[in-house]
Amino acid sequence: MSDPMHSSLTDIRQGIEGIRRALGRETQAPLTNPRPAVYPAYQAKTPAESTAAFLVEIGKLSGVGKNVTPASLPVDFSALVSENNIQKAVVWHSDWFTELGIENSLRSLGVELVSPNADKLEMAQCDLGITSADYLLPETGTLVLRSSAEKPRAVSLLPRMHLAIVRPEMLRADLHQVFAEAKDSHYLVFITGPSRTADIELTTTLGVHGPKNLFVWMMPQNGGSS
Amino acid sequence: MPKAQLFITCLADQFYTSTLQNMTHLLEKLGVELVFPPGQTCCGQPLFNNGFEDKTRAVALNFMQAFAKSDAPIVGPSGSCVSMVKHHYPELFPAGTPEYNLARDTAARTYEFTEYLVNVLKVLDVGAVFPHKVTYHASCHYLREMGLKTEAKTLLGAVKDLELIPLKEEDTCCGFGGAFTVTYPEVSRAMMENKVKHIMASGADTVVMCEPGCLMNVAGGLHKAGSNIRAMHIIDLLSAR
Amino acid sequence: MTTETIPYIGFEEYSEHIPQTIPAAVQQATSRFVGGRAARVSELPHWEQLRQIASDIRLHTIDNMDIYLNRFVEKVQAAGGIVHWAATAEDARQIVLQIAKEHNVKLAVKAKSMATEEIELNHALQAAGIEALETDLGEYIIQLAGTGPSHIIVPAVHLKKEEIAALFSEKLHMNAPSDPIELARIAREKLREKFLSAEMGVSGANFLVAETGTMVMVTNEGNGRMCTSMPDLHVAVVGIDKIIPDWESLTVFLKLLARSATGQKLSTYTQFITGPRREEGEFGPKEFHLVLLDNGRSKIMKDPIGRQVFKCIRCGACENVCPVYKNVGGFAYGYFISGPIGAIFAPQMLGTQVARELPYASTLCGACADVCPVKIPIPTILRHLRRRVAQGDEVAGPSMPVPIRAMAGMASMALGWNWIYRFGTGILPFFMSVFKRGEWIPSAPYPLNRWTKARPLPPFNASFRNWWRAHSRVARENTK
Repeated sequence: MSDPMHSSLTDIRQGIEGIRRALGRETQAPLTNPRPAVYPAYQAKTPAESTAAFLVEIGKLSGVGKNVTPASLPVDFSALVSENNIQKAVVWHSDWFTELGIENSLRSLGVELVSPNADKLEMAQCDLGITSADYLLPETGTLVLRSSAEKPRAVSLLPRMHLAIVRPEMLRADLHQVFAEAKDSHYLVFITGPSRTADIELTTTLGVHGPKNLFVWMMPQNGGSS
Repeated sequence: MPKAQLFITCLADQFYTSTLQNMTHLLEKLGVELVFPPGQTCCGQPLFNNGFEDKTRAVALNFMQAFAKSDAPIVGPSGSCVSMVKHHYPELFPAGTPEYNLARDTAARTYEFTEYLVNVLKVLDVGAVFPHKVTYHASCHYLREMGLKTEAKTLLGAVKDLELIPLKEEDTCCGFGGAFTVTYPEVSRAMMENKVKHIMASGADTVVMCEPGCLMNVAGGLHKAGSNIRAMHIIDLLSAR
Repeated sequence: MTTETIPYIGFEEYSEHIPQTIPAAVQQATSRFVGGRAARVSELPHWEQLRQIASDIRLHTIDNMDIYLNRFVEKVQAAGGIVHWAATAEDARQIVLQIAKEHNVKLAVKAKSMATEEIELNHALQAAGIEALETDLGEYIIQLAGTGPSHIIVPAVHLKKEEIAALFSEKLHMNAPSDPIELARIAREKLREKFLSAEMGVSGANFLVAETGTMVMVTNEGNGRMCTSMPDLHVAVVGIDKIIPDWESLTVFLKLLARSATGQKLSTYTQFITGPRREEGEFGPKEFHLVLLDNGRSKIMKDPIGRQVFKCIRCGACENVCPVYKNVGGFAYGYFISGPIGAIFAPQMLGTQVARELPYASTLCGACADVCPVKIPIPTILRHLRRRVAQGDEVAGPSMPVPIRAMAGMASMALGWNWIYRFGTGILPFFMSVFKRGEWIPSAPYPLNRWTKARPLPPFNASFRNWWRAHSRVARENTK
């Protein structure tokens, strides 16, 4: 075969053509009838019920979920920082977070802030990464996050703790809705609880390579702009 | 008066004459006029399951011809043997041939014993009396290929003074698998010992099942383990008075 | 085309020489996963409907695989990804090596990937002087131990924590305690510096979505995210059978996969990657390569029964219920994928000369087919492959030893000609009565000695036919 690095279109087309012949399909034959994925999906409940269900799932996953308000944030942060010995943190850039004054709250608690665009070695030193989410799935307690320079993937991965501050309007009943809205995104990650393994004698261990602790703070609708 | 043909199976023919006698008496007591085609030998399952499909055809043809002399339903004391006829005989012959049509016809009128009682004769209580603690092993082909999930327990439920005790891992394979016992004897042994262990821990004094093959395996295993638990075919239990 | 010879898989021999610790450990894992699966299945009343839809979608995709692959390739390329086609395992290895060399890779960090095990990528990278490090904890452990996986989801489950501590102490030059949480912490520390310094991340994929050219990774530990987010170069090696049509189909598979595998609703991290990163600050690779692996799959596509093996979504549910697997563990199958799915995958990928024992490593009990989320008819495919071994088909000639085929021929005559049968079964009880002791035959001659070494035979009898003759004569006389 030719230079493997530049596996030409010819190699690929030839390979796929081999599949077509093996299947016995005629050239240019159209798709045979697909089976649509129609089945009862997880039903949307009232926002209050969905929010409650979502937080319950977070708890089942050994995450810590609670309701917060803009007014309660300073106390919430103070407790979080002191109980978990947070010295360095990295926060997503977002207008909402700026409005909520998150970086200021942390600084006033003596936490050193690392830029989300810092180098990976520096970010790996952080104790806490703070993100929001793009969507939430109540059935499974899942956070759905896109990726961008302002909201990098590593913030929810490198630090040993991950805090997600979210709002009820991010809730979507089922995978169908999330996919319909997000499938054209170049990157999505679903986060369902803290990092875990049962590889050693089936003992569940949290925080293998991803964050060991997952905190989810749910802020009601009227808690700041979108 | 309903009529039925006795399909005795090669294993029961060889090892369980009394079970076949009980099957005869039980069905006749229920008013079934029985026929026994002597030309039958084996359904061919051991050859078929081991990949010798070409060599199975002669055996299947012998079976079908033996049972073609009457159009009465065919009843056998084994889910796996009956499944061979019902589900696999039509696969052996090209569609449209006389053999294929014969296979379709034979398949359509072949029944497993408990299936025949409960679903065809609609008999749930045969008047048996068996004052013992009984546990039930659900044989794989009987359960999964034939889909007989409730028939055996329905019949056991009607037996007077019988206490049915649940068996842990009731539907886990006992390790018989036909030729499997001689192909991989050590793996078969491990599976059999697992089944015997659960039976002995169940608290029952009797274990009942609907397959001669499983019965050979489990009964032998219980004996080897020094247990007094009696292993029976459901037909023998239902014949108890 | 590689000229390496594939070693014969002696399932019987392997299964007779397993340390007793392995079935015990495997059974702990399988019963945990079976319990978890049952709980999750009961939460979804439409579970059977989902299975049927999943099965239909997979069959449809296989039947139209060329169309979906073409669509997928176009979309990945449009997203800035580089696609390669590897007709053989050697091609795949060469492609990855070439990419690594062009980028001066010294260290590659690997997420768990069955495809990379299939092509034995680590050996090739190491031979070229590149450190290839498994980062999934179970895979990291067995890489240190130098063994294969005993279970598809928890590959190191056969090792006790004391053994793992000793392994870490020896290979990592430290004093490792026998505590799973501490051991995981050690692995985390050791691997973190590697994630942050590696030039290349290697992964597989669980699904390839043709609609948008997206690869999906279903993981729990975070190493999958690390391997694909930290280095500037990401190479994914993926079997062509992972292709699915679209995101709507993906909803079905995501509902089924984690529940079937471990009893989780969803795995901890599910990533959806379409090409390289778009902005520098967001992390993720600058360059993304996807190697589509054929390695014999296109040949299997010719076989309408056998190719149903490609419906598999690698959940391991079949292993968890298989009574054979649970008594022998993964090593006995001699292949990196074991259990019921391994028994139908290996003989097709490696050929029935080498893997002729595997299709017989089953009692055809059907427990696997009951739990398979995509309804692969495993017992049917096992019989199909047994036919190939016993009598041969269009794909291969028979590989069953001649004496056994001869015995089958004799059995066919004995059973097909009823006078031979009746004669034989008539005299058999007389011969076998020699071996009777009390109510049993504790020891019989070959080949039945293979039965009696585990349990006795009941006595040979065969007196029903005589009894019936007398019985029916009485019945006829009574009706006169």
